[in-house]
Amino acid sequence: MDAVSLAIPLIEMTIAGAIINASVHFIPVGGAPAAMATSTGVGTGTTQLAAGAGFTGLMGAAVMAATVGLSLTGIALILVSGAISSMIMLGVTMLIGQLIYVFGVGVVPAADKCEIDPITKDPQKPYVTPGTTGHGVPTVCFISGLIGAALGGIGGALAYIAMLKLGLSPALAGMLAVGFFFINAVLASYNIGGTIEGFHDPKFKKMPNGVIASTVASLLFGIIAVAMAL
Amino acid sequence: MSHGGGGHATELYPENQIFAVGVVLSLVGIYLANFLPDNLSMLIGGLLVSAACVAGANTVRKVAAYGLGTGVPSIGMISLGMGTLAAVAGVLIPKALGITYLVAPILTLIIALVVGYIVGRLTVNPVGMKIPIMVRSMTYLSVAGAMALLGFTTAYVGSLEPQAFINGALNTGIMALAFITAGMAILHPFNACLGPNESHRRTLTLAVACGLITWFVFSVVKLDIISMVVSIILWAIAYVKFVKMSFKDACAVLHVPEIPKKGE
Repeated sequence: MDAVSLAIPLIEMTIAGAIINASVHFIPVGGAPAAMATSTGVGTGTTQLAAGAGFTGLMGAAVMAATVGLSLTGIALILVSGAISSMIMLGVTMLIGQLIYVFGVGVVPAADKCEIDPITKDPQKPYVTPGTTGHGVPTVCFISGLIGAALGGIGGALAYIAMLKLGLSPALAGMLAVGFFFINAVLASYNIGGTIEGFHDPKFKKMPNGVIASTVASLLFGIIAVAMAL
Repeated sequence: MSHGGGGHATELYPENQIFAVGVVLSLVGIYLANFLPDNLSMLIGGLLVSAACVAGANTVRKVAAYGLGTGVPSIGMISLGMGTLAAVAGVLIPKALGITYLVAPILTLIIALVVGYIVGRLTVNPVGMKIPIMVRSMTYLSVAGAMALLGFTTAYVGSLEPQAFINGALNTGIMALAFITAGMAILHPFNACLGPNESHRRTLTLAVACGLITWFVFSVVKLDIISMVVSIILWAIAYVKFVKMSFKDACAVLHVPEIPKKGE
């Protein structure tokens, strides 16, 4: 293959890694405290949430890629398909989690990291149980999660497209995209260091560090992937 | 959520020793799986490659005891992410460069070392993980993950020849099975055993059991009856030992001496 057709997938993979890392920072991850409804977000770790949504996005992208091919319209459709699949997956996860928090545990969804919800303008602080850091999935976290899922789906789909362009078989491209997704999602979760509520959380400002780390890691991944396709 | 409870329990064997044994055994296993006839590759290769899972699980124990803040599974998954790349690259790069495919396991080892080291540096420098052994552990985990992935898939295919490997392991999706089974074998032992009463012997026993059941899963997929029987028997021995140990240690916690009353 000539230099240009190798360089474009390399650039795409680098960008995809940065997008995946950024996307994880939007997802409301509550971790173990949220599983006991003493922290805002969905009660599981970053890796699991991002992986669940990201893989669904990847599947959506792969199905679309098998149908439309890699023309310019095709690529746009693959990206959209990845984003929508990922958003549906995370949206359902958050919705069911919310139902359990509200009707099962019996808590009011409330964000701890903001005085009033930036989207609905509802006051949050009076509803936070003393001794906890919020509970449930309030509107701002839900919207933030949907944005994150869309970005994650786009990132995963972009990485998949890049590997298809390198001439790898769909099965191989999918497998490598899974590994690629995990590296970037875990780097992001180490950057967050536990729990995050969404874009209104102060920890969100740490995002550039994670994006830099992912860009370097994705570039390395891309170089090795290009060496495979020579 | 991922605190190692009481920190590090005393070590039965040093980490480097277990890691070295695990990598050497799995390397030997991969070559044997390649050279031995097809009906023996899963029996011998699978058994030896289980050692890579044990080595990985032991490193997870060491690093996750510091408290990752994101749960033990995260480090198991990143190790398998790096391992997938290294294992696939190790098989496909010799084909691209036109050199003999027998360098594949060595090449996988080198790529895993490089990727693990760089990703480990990244978790320390821009990301800011404050675990002193992070770089070393990421390097070790990357190698263990890559060896486990390449080993089990090679034992399944019975050959390292790129075209056979692509048709047998990659296009059939066996690599995805290896990803999750080897991943569970690496991350599960410490995740299950962590806590104030964690002991190295118990975690290692569970790690051995997890490695053996991964081998069993691959024997079932390959429909290799002898491997299935051998692996399930070995697994049962290790697992019964683990359960007995757990009961014994749980008993030690339950029967604490009575707390002395105030004023006595």
